[in-house]
Amino acid sequence: MNKAIIAKEFTEIVRDGRAIVLFGIVGLLLLLGLVTGFSTESTRSQTVFDAKVADAEVFNAQGAKNPHSAAHFSRMAHKPVAPFSAFDPGVSAYVGQVVWLEGHYRNPAMFRAAEDATELGRLENFSLAGVLILIIPLLVILLGYGSIAKEREQGTLRQIISSGTSLRSLLLGKFITVFSISFAFLVFTIVLAAVTSLFVFEASSQPFTDLFLRSVSLLFVYGLYTAFVTATTLFISAIVQEAKNSLLILLGLWTVMVVSLPRLSASIAEKVYPSPQSSEFWEAMDVRLSENRLDSSSAEYVAAERAVIERAFGKKLTESEIENLAINARGVRLEVSEVIDSEIYTAAYAELFKNYANQKNFRRLLSIFSPTIALQHLSQAFSGTDVNAHEHFSNEAERQRNKIVRVLNEELIINDSGENLRYLAPPEFWETVPEFEYEYPALKIAWRQSGADFFIVFAWALFSIVAMFWLGKGRLEV
Amino acid sequence: MRELLLAQNLTKKFKSNSALCDLNLTVRESEILCLLGANGAGKTTTINLFLGFLKPTSGKAFVDGLDVCENLNEVRKKLAYVPEQVSLYPSLTGLENLDYFVKLSLNNRLGKAELQNLLDRVGLNKSAANKRVNGYSKGMRQKVGLAISLAKNAQALLLDEPLSGLDPSAANEFTTILRNLADQGTAVLMATHDLFRAREIADRIGIMKSGSLVKDLSPTSVDQSTLEEIYLQQMRDTELV
Repeated sequence: MNKAIIAKEFTEIVRDGRAIVLFGIVGLLLLLGLVTGFSTESTRSQTVFDAKVADAEVFNAQGAKNPHSAAHFSRMAHKPVAPFSAFDPGVSAYVGQVVWLEGHYRNPAMFRAAEDATELGRLENFSLAGVLILIIPLLVILLGYGSIAKEREQGTLRQIISSGTSLRSLLLGKFITVFSISFAFLVFTIVLAAVTSLFVFEASSQPFTDLFLRSVSLLFVYGLYTAFVTATTLFISAIVQEAKNSLLILLGLWTVMVVSLPRLSASIAEKVYPSPQSSEFWEAMDVRLSENRLDSSSAEYVAAERAVIERAFGKKLTESEIENLAINARGVRLEVSEVIDSEIYTAAYAELFKNYANQKNFRRLLSIFSPTIALQHLSQAFSGTDVNAHEHFSNEAERQRNKIVRVLNEELIINDSGENLRYLAPPEFWETVPEFEYEYPALKIAWRQSGADFFIVFAWALFSIVAMFWLGKGRLEV
Repeated sequence: MRELLLAQNLTKKFKSNSALCDLNLTVRESEILCLLGANGAGKTTTINLFLGFLKPTSGKAFVDGLDVCENLNEVRKKLAYVPEQVSLYPSLTGLENLDYFVKLSLNNRLGKAELQNLLDRVGLNKSAANKRVNGYSKGMRQKVGLAISLAKNAQALLLDEPLSGLDPSAANEFTTILRNLADQGTAVLMATHDLFRAREIADRIGIMKSGSLVKDLSPTSVDQSTLEEIYLQQMRDTELV
């Protein structure tokens, strides 16, 4: 019975011209999203690759130089293009791509695409995920608004029901038709995004299994969202008497739940949990650093000094051994200060990211009114472009900064003596400084962080499907 | 003979308006009951109650002994329905429409030849059957509607003014098919305004007025002019009321 309904629905969609119009428009928009997404991300990927090579060349070719001067010159940590950033760039354009791993300072990521964008550059925000989130509900609405209402209007609903077909079977047949067409678009888009990612981003090539699992995860959550939109569309179509009213109500819901609320929720979250201004953040940081600076005669400071020296020499040392060592005391103080300040930076940045997490939680709360918000979170998380992924990069960059500065300070501590900074490290030393090899957090971490968002999308889908079938249990006049 | 359609004190009210008041009627197997009456007399409401499209305010409707309200799915399997305006899908052909409704009714598919045979029985030739329905006349649509009902091989057939708008030849073909169906055991309940056709094919003629069955006549007991006189008398009384 359902097979007959599905076959009939497909035939009608093809014959009445809806297929050409809808598939033409949606296909064009998806293609545009794909082209803009990939041109932006492949350029970014190449830029990161080139910048990384250039940075290594310049650092390694600096010749004989004092390690502390080199710590100020230092290296850059380049964020590679995220696994699915061409599909969903997420917060990439707003959080910066490169961290300057300078001695003394934990710098924020710089080179935000959003800062450099011209008015026309806003087209770059035209991502595949953005198109899917906006267009798939529209596609579902246009395919399904008249599903039951039109049958009622033209009288075929009575004929179907009198044939012994239950409204529930009819709804199921229509649901499968509309859902499968929309899901086919999802599969096409996500598979194309994955395949192109594999071949386009040579500079940051992703393991195939990771891309595959990310594609499946994205398909799963977008599929749930599509199921929610389909069931809601059929529900509205079933309860109203005329198809035009069904269309008006659904377009109204689309405007509120898909277009307005997600944007509004971001603004409200920013008001409730305001992000600190850069100047405020750094002023507070200066106060914090000076308040937490240890007195050099304190036991804590002495212990830190000892730990730094032992680490530099790679073994436990007695008091007398330390006293007899010809080490650079200024180098020791520099490293102790790095160790202490790094903890303060870590705490301050953790608070900053906690604020972003609060904003995200607030938006999540508003997804009680629209699962689109939760879907945006999931889409960014599985694409590796959410704030959590950036926090991971930022922390990894800080770990690399600590590592580089430590290597440079230890070179100074071991090879110089006294209070001066006159020691020049040999030209071949720079190549021994470790490279920054960044790997995005595994997909399972994104899943772990997205449990609440997944539950929200799942609950919306389940609720709407149950409501639709509840209606089909003879609760409607035909 | 089995009572396939039975209404017991069937009442339907829409807010304060009574569409049907304590209606009692029976249609047995192989019997055609034609319901006559002015618009709003309750003919369509009676059919809708048997189909379960409406729920009675009080009283009960039975199909082959089954209470309609309690056995809706079972009841609908035993019924076929032809509305005044047979609604079909305009972008499908007559044959495809028939195929679709047959699949829904029987939960099974018929071969193309069997489908065409059904359309031949109702007088829709092959060339017309393969054209999209958006170019069909009302008569052609009614024929497809009747073919859908024939395919179901239902125990009872409910028709809501199926002859209105049909040319005399098409109406004649239609009534012949109905008679044949009744002769094979189907109970037919037909709401109509066509007194001539009613007298021609019915085994019983019921005249409805203000939601009640006011006359239950045998066509053999009245000639055409007497039937017209009785009907018009009832209608005049309605207007006076």
